[in-house]
Amino acid sequence: MSELLAVRDGEGTAWARAHVDECAFCREELDLLYRRVAALRALPALRPPRDRWGVIRAQAARDRRGRVLKRTGWGVLAAAAAIAVLLGVRTVGMLGPTPAVGQTELDALMEQSRGLEATLRSYDPEGRVLNARAAGIIANLEDRIALVDAGISQVTTRGGAREDLIGLWRDRVDLMNALVNAHVTRATYVGF
Amino acid sequence: MTQASVTGVGVLDDIAVERAKTGDLEALERVYRSYEGLVYSLARRICRTEEDTEDVLQETFLEVCRSIRSFRGTGTGSLTAWVKRVAASKALMRVRREKYRDADDLPEDGPAVGVNDVDVPLQLDLEAALMQLPDTSRAVVWMHDVEGYTHEDIAEMMGRTVSFSKSQLARAHARLRGWLGGGH
Repeated sequence: MSELLAVRDGEGTAWARAHVDECAFCREELDLLYRRVAALRALPALRPPRDRWGVIRAQAARDRRGRVLKRTGWGVLAAAAAIAVLLGVRTVGMLGPTPAVGQTELDALMEQSRGLEATLRSYDPEGRVLNARAAGIIANLEDRIALVDAGISQVTTRGGAREDLIGLWRDRVDLMNALVNAHVTRATYVGF
Repeated sequence: MTQASVTGVGVLDDIAVERAKTGDLEALERVYRSYEGLVYSLARRICRTEEDTEDVLQETFLEVCRSIRSFRGTGTGSLTAWVKRVAASKALMRVRREKYRDADDLPEDGPAVGVNDVDVPLQLDLEAALMQLPDTSRAVVWMHDVEGYTHEDIAEMMGRTVSFSKSQLARAHARLRGWLGGGH
């Protein structure tokens, strides 16, 4: 068989090639080999029985978010917080008689967000397996959080209005709450 | 612009590939929809179980999502080759990892058609005969004769020698010949 395969692949010795030319039995075997391979190539294409995209998408989104956080080392959010404090000081005159109220709300929202991040880490979300539905919900929330983070970064960099920043941090806290709930619900379900 | 395939979520073209490289999840889904059948078929022919096959499908596309930004090819043709290569590597890695399950390789010496073959029906369906082969030799047959990889490629992906790949191919064909008779 190895000689026949070598002849088929153009690697056969001169003797083997000459032999196949002369020997009816070996010619028939070579022909069978060609037909067998043609039949293998003609086997029908198969389709996966289940759609795996939900799970893959969720993991890809988590990887991407993890990469972004690792790259920035939470620096973007920390910088945003620092700039927000400066913004609060700088815009005291512009924001009317109760500037401290807005700043206090901003501080409280950032603190809430940090707390929710800590809660989420305590569930070890990276180490858990998700079903497709939960993975889809979580991926969607993580995508939305990433968009809000980009918005926070943009507003703080260009020195935007504090109301915009407060609105974004409020959105972030709401989304983080939903994300923690999604993980907690799933953990409870698994626990049963 | 090269068109790879029409999928349930649209056409995979060069623009979609470029978007996928940026991590765009919609574009990555197009890549998945375009290649899930190809990857699944390749993995199913190499892996022994459905479960292993689905794991390879998932691992392949996670790797595609992670690494597509460093994919240097242009056009969907080279993307197809790259995705297939990732899938083949994952499937072969699994075959290597799962080798403890059986005395897998066909022995390099001794008769090509062994004594166990008397248990195998004389006329098997080609697909059943393929699945009857040990994992490693089935993988070599599929990779070499159907997917068109060279023995050098296969040896590299399997962490074995070129002569091992050639020998597995010859012995696998001898077995298939014995089981299938003149039918194929």
